[in-house]
Amino acid sequence: MSHPAKKLFIGFAIVASACFMPNLVTVPYFMHLIILALIWVILSQGQNLIQGFVGYVSITQAGFMGIGAYFSTLLTLKLGFSVWLTLAMTPLITGLFSVIVGYPSLRVKGHYFAIVTLAYNMVIFTILLTYSSLTGGEAGISNIARPSGFSLFGYVVDFEGRSNANYYLLVLFLAAMTTGLCGLILHSRVGRVLLAIRQNEVLADAMGIKSWRYKLFTFVISASLAGLAGALYAHYIGFLNPEPFGVDQSLNAILAVILGGSGTLTGPVVGAFAVTFLPEYLRIADSYRLVTYGFILVIATIFLPRGLVPVTRDLFLYIKSLVLNQK
Amino acid sequence: MIEIFQQALNGLAIGAVYVLIALGLTVVFGILGIAHFAHGSVAMFGGYLTFFVMEKFGVPFFLAMGLAMLGGAALGFVIERLAYRPVQDAPHINAFIIALGLTMMIEGINLLVFGADQVVIQTPYRGVFYVAGIAVAELRLIVILTACVLVGVITMLIAKTKTGKSIRAVAQNRQAAVLMGVNVSMVSLVVFAISSALGVAAGALIGALLAIAPGVGEGLAVKGFAVLILGGLGSIPGAIVGGLILGVSEAMAAGFISSSYKDVIAFLVMIVVLLFRPEGLLGKR
Repeated sequence: MSHPAKKLFIGFAIVASACFMPNLVTVPYFMHLIILALIWVILSQGQNLIQGFVGYVSITQAGFMGIGAYFSTLLTLKLGFSVWLTLAMTPLITGLFSVIVGYPSLRVKGHYFAIVTLAYNMVIFTILLTYSSLTGGEAGISNIARPSGFSLFGYVVDFEGRSNANYYLLVLFLAAMTTGLCGLILHSRVGRVLLAIRQNEVLADAMGIKSWRYKLFTFVISASLAGLAGALYAHYIGFLNPEPFGVDQSLNAILAVILGGSGTLTGPVVGAFAVTFLPEYLRIADSYRLVTYGFILVIATIFLPRGLVPVTRDLFLYIKSLVLNQK
Repeated sequence: MIEIFQQALNGLAIGAVYVLIALGLTVVFGILGIAHFAHGSVAMFGGYLTFFVMEKFGVPFFLAMGLAMLGGAALGFVIERLAYRPVQDAPHINAFIIALGLTMMIEGINLLVFGADQVVIQTPYRGVFYVAGIAVAELRLIVILTACVLVGVITMLIAKTKTGKSIRAVAQNRQAAVLMGVNVSMVSLVVFAISSALGVAAGALIGALLAIAPGVGEGLAVKGFAVLILGGLGSIPGAIVGGLILGVSEAMAAGFISSSYKDVIAFLVMIVVLLFRPEGLLGKR
């Protein structure tokens, strides 16, 4: 089997076996965390596109997540749209927003870009908090609907209840699609251009590549994914206030990408699960949580700058070479 | 009309604090190329420390602030040695991520050591007098004066002393400075100490002027960077001008538009500057 086909096969195998997760995991709380982690996979894949592929660290992912969450919620609550329709619409709406944000901010590089996007996140957060006639402010919006159920070949598929298995499958499907989409982008001509920009943007420009177009494209895709993640989050949790969409969450998305391995496809998946489960386990050390979390981030950046996935892969290859040489 | 002057004066006081924050950030950025995001949290640490020293030992405000500045300088040493030194040859973005981790750590330490309550530092400067119809609070004048003195001291330090000369040399050309025998490792330590001490002073002044609370630090760091972008990264005059502009425009926005949107307006000013003059008002192209 050729290399990409093998990878694709492994991917399918993982997703297929993940479909049986609800039968294996009997603790609803774990199921709940897994659903959240899968939503985070979508978010961090988006973050990885701009941070790992293009090398521009954007700190506004949670802001876009918030835009997606609030748009989807408000469309269903105030205008009576079907949840399925709004789930399909939010990536487009968030993408549109990100053009407005991305066009001016992509004119600057490096730290400037990081700081400007961070400022955008704060603006979005402030507006969500202050424009309370629409967003409900700090008190938030409750009773957000789940997607409506339907019947398939006689089976009734509904999405109600905490840690619902069908909602899990929906999120799993979308997370797998997102990862697939990122894989397609990475292995296409566009992906090569993005890597070229990361390595040397001036040179890429000199080769006749209109790099700002590619950067904007990636930024918009990244934001659309964040918007989708936000909508999925809102309709899953059923309650919305601005708190999860602050700068902290954007930093978490960056941490997910760094921990897993930036610029890889599997890295953000591993990272997303890490940032969802790690704080839950650190809850034991409640008041030390923030310190521990920051400490892990610092230590990971110093000793594991490439992330868990590349390091594990190298370790695996090293052991393999040792075993093969002994024969 | 009087209202405008009144708001401008209020803005100058808070702007003076922004200048101190931005000054600390700009020396670190100009010399080490690190976007030291944890600076705001260091400032909050300093504010809490000042409050704590005043409460515990009953010393006057400025003595407590001075002691806290020494503590801040020590913290700066530790941060530089343990956190930033290991990644100095890695891509700059790694240092930025370290800075984010440090922010969490210092915020966490602040919570653990000083608690989650909002703290206001009580100073004896409570007088108010009127000049041509404008109410001038004594405290605001003191804050502006303190900032002026600190900025003056730092400028003299960098312009006149031998240490200052080596700091400027490293900022201009790191390699050449190494070849001329400048101890670059020492310079970056000194720079971090100065920067953190300035941040601590800013935190103490914020504590006297407004209040210190968990979460204020991040906002402060973002404001500091907004000032840097306004004035030009790495430029000291830029930090001064940018800080005052940000402070005054914020006060105007709070006074005439809406106080809940004042932060938004500050960021809009920054975005507009980036669009039309990405190198900052006083930065070099």
